[in-house]
Amino acid sequence: MEIEKTAIRAAKLEKKFKNFNLNIQKLEIPQGFATALIGKNGAGKTTLMNILAGIRLDYKGEITFFEKWNDQDREKKDCPVREMVGYTGTSGYFLPQWTVADVGEVSELLFEGFDRKRFDALCRELKIVGGGSNEGQKKISELSDGTRTKLMLAGVLARETDLLLMDEPASPLDPLMRDRLCEMIQEYLAAGNGEKSVFFSTHNVSDMENVTDYAIIMSRGRIVERGFVEDLKNKYVLVKGEKEDASKARPALYSMQESRYGFEGLCLNENLEKLAGIDVTKEIPSLYQISVAVMRKNAGGGEK
Amino acid sequence: MKIMQNSDTPIYMQIAEQMKTEILEGKLKPGEYLPSIRGLAKELRISVITTMKAYEQLESEGLVTAIQGKGFLVNDQNMGMLKEQHLRKVEEYLQAAIQSARVAGMTKEELEAMLHTLIMLQEQE
Repeated sequence: MEIEKTAIRAAKLEKKFKNFNLNIQKLEIPQGFATALIGKNGAGKTTLMNILAGIRLDYKGEITFFEKWNDQDREKKDCPVREMVGYTGTSGYFLPQWTVADVGEVSELLFEGFDRKRFDALCRELKIVGGGSNEGQKKISELSDGTRTKLMLAGVLARETDLLLMDEPASPLDPLMRDRLCEMIQEYLAAGNGEKSVFFSTHNVSDMENVTDYAIIMSRGRIVERGFVEDLKNKYVLVKGEKEDASKARPALYSMQESRYGFEGLCLNENLEKLAGIDVTKEIPSLYQISVAVMRKNAGGGEK
Repeated sequence: MKIMQNSDTPIYMQIAEQMKTEILEGKLKPGEYLPSIRGLAKELRISVITTMKAYEQLESEGLVTAIQGKGFLVNDQNMGMLKEQHLRKVEEYLQAAIQSARVAGMTKEELEAMLHTLIMLQEQE
């Protein structure tokens, strides 16, 4: 499948650190879909996210938002990109002494499209505040990581945006709240009717699989695999076979794991015919299985 | 609509098949639009791209037409062709049943009796 319109496209993004280089020649985040950014710790996910969110400005390269504004435009006053993009991070961007109510007030000042009523309703629904008279007087410093993430989510969902950038939104959340997060992403996409997009990084690939339309897998500062999930599931086939066939199958496989009883691995669909004559079962891999195989393959440097 | 996550049939095919059945049964009528892609994805709790692939499958089979900016329109159906497809499916399932019966050592009469009983049970429901 081809990407028709992008929420973000970027070219030749570079950021050099002492021990790490981010180098992304081409990035496309399709409009109207949920895109997952996958990769192990240190792969460069947060660096990329921060560049796209405008938190980090010391990079080379060009970014285009909604096919219309570039990253220089974004820094100008009255550029609508700032209003159109919502961001949630891992560390929280609220001051510790603020109360939940303060967050509402500050957001109201910062963003035209911020709906205070919606924010208060979300805070109650997500149980960020309990009921009662001193509702909203809880300090940020008293909140758990999960609740802080929920507060950031309430903050961006109470705004009128066209793109959500979310750095590891699922990690601090419990299973029920992760489920609610998936639901909120789907509601957001459905409300946008093809206009609104979501870009999130995650380690919880399985939990997020049902809301992932497009996947970008990073390793060591580069993008090593990308595509619509349905296409990736067509590109790779999960094969399993008996132990005695393992050495015969190995050269044809993209990745392989052996156990005492047999082997399992991913085979590129185009290489499937090389397994002719070997007794294997074939299954559609999950995005999680694809991600793990691709990450292993590209870990390099003796890392596993 | 029922979706099985761990089925041999890809989810997009499951959706396409069930939509096809609804068209054949007249629950979705020619001239009507299919549910919006993102709306259905939300209801079924599956990804947008999977729903899209299901609709594209239906389009490639000529059952629906994509209308720019509006959605997927159910076509006037060649009901004969649809029925033919379902007949073929019935044949396929019956053949599988015959094979299983053979493995179990059932006689022709026993198999026929079972089929009659099952039909009767269905009618009672």
